[in-house]
Amino acid sequence: MANPMASQAPQGDAKSLQDLREKSILAAEETIRKASSRPDLHLVQAIQALDDSDKFLNITATRAAEWYGLHFPELAQMVQDNVALCRLVLAAGKRDGFNAELLQGRGLTEKKIEAILTAKERSKGGELSDADLARVRSLSSLAVELSGEREKLNEYVESAMHRIAPNVCEVAGATIGARLMAKAGGLDRLATLPASTIQILGAEKALFRALRTGARPPKHGILFQHEAVHAAPKWQRGKIARTIANKVAIAARVDYYRGSEEASIKAGLDKRLESIREKYKEPPPRQPERRERPQQRRDRPRDRRQKYRRR
Amino acid sequence: MSRILREERHGRTFLLTPNLAKGQRVYNEELVVREGAEYRTWDPFRSKLAAAILKGLPDDMVREGDRVLYLGTSTGTTPSHVSDIVGDGGLVIGVEFAPRVAREFVEKVARQRKNVIPYIVDARDPSKYNVSRVDVVYCDIAQPDQTEIALANCAAMLEPGGRLLLVVKSRSIDVLKEPERVFREERAKLESAGFRVVAATDLGPFEKDHAMIYAKSGGRG
Repeated sequence: MANPMASQAPQGDAKSLQDLREKSILAAEETIRKASSRPDLHLVQAIQALDDSDKFLNITATRAAEWYGLHFPELAQMVQDNVALCRLVLAAGKRDGFNAELLQGRGLTEKKIEAILTAKERSKGGELSDADLARVRSLSSLAVELSGEREKLNEYVESAMHRIAPNVCEVAGATIGARLMAKAGGLDRLATLPASTIQILGAEKALFRALRTGARPPKHGILFQHEAVHAAPKWQRGKIARTIANKVAIAARVDYYRGSEEASIKAGLDKRLESIREKYKEPPPRQPERRERPQQRRDRPRDRRQKYRRR
Repeated sequence: MSRILREERHGRTFLLTPNLAKGQRVYNEELVVREGAEYRTWDPFRSKLAAAILKGLPDDMVREGDRVLYLGTSTGTTPSHVSDIVGDGGLVIGVEFAPRVAREFVEKVARQRKNVIPYIVDARDPSKYNVSRVDVVYCDIAQPDQTEIALANCAAMLEPGGRLLLVVKSRSIDVLKEPERVFREERAKLESAGFRVVAATDLGPFEKDHAMIYAKSGGRG
């Protein structure tokens, strides 16, 4: 893009300078407007909102369950999921509020329902005042609401990924693909990253530690969350993460530059994963313990010596 | 003469610049009145130019009436003070690449100050904003080749004998090298490009692993 204002020389002329400034501001605002309407930025916000609400949901539901546990400690044993427990608290209120009718249709087995009702009769929990209950209940309702919002965010991320980056979505999965995009700073950035960088996105701390000290570099960052990586035996994970990263890099480029679905990427990935699983079925033989520390990068010590010499 | 005011309070030095946009704050800084004029306090922890001055670099690196090319304005904290210093007779050409932070720069600084012209473009291409020769090039950009970018901009727009203020971000250049080594190497690049280094300082404790180099271009001056 050529800048129409670039050739004007404003020196000495206050009016033309203000004209130029006015035009520049308008052009800048237009750039900002354009940049802010990119759909992948909304996706990045959504995945971050999803991760935020996950954290907050966990904290809130755990606290509500813990608090209600003072009153009805046995319930937490029988209902493992804190959000489900919050739903029960909302519905039943105090311990006395639990009855068979209320517990039906919540995915609890007959045995569990019976156990809850028995436990209620001889609970070791303490008294709960109305004021206490009001707060616990309201906290529970916050948790329940949050979990609803989380679900909606999840659906949004899924559908947005299908729309914006169908190939990345296919290869990495919607949430992982979205997280990679968030880390990279948008689909355009992800499409320009080398696969080796994509492989360790999210493991920056381990990477820089490795570079500084000569320790072994990380094999996977965000990609560890990919089922094919974390479900694989340890010795295969590096190879699998590398393969997925390679395909994500290709997928991101197809999504960004061409924008059409390309089934061969996923097919190639599956084929390659299959052959890794086949070829590296057995764990590698144990390496004899290495005595020497891996060689350090020379930068640091050499620099230090120079520093002392100068003084 | 310098438009920067120095004050000693609680055993610390505070810097103030005369507020060009009366009554307005840019980043929630304190506004104070001195001898009938409004000043803004200049936070060295948020502005590397203020940090450099407190670390002993001269007050007059940027002067009243100067035309300044400012690369990497970010949200406009330091550019607003540069705008204060150069005053109505001066000019600040502010270049920022990232739209998100440039939004605040345009809203809070460029729109409010008549001596600021904003550009949201890549500083690797000075032809996009080469609207005037300048007396000062200020460069604070997080790129491995920041020094080369600064030099290219100087070649395009800096007057002979003009000043270059280069913020050396050692961690952006090479995370593994010792910062001091990076500082020496970047300084050598300036010198071999015909610049004379007037002064340089590390910016700790205000900014970690950063340095400021103050240099003058060859030619006259």
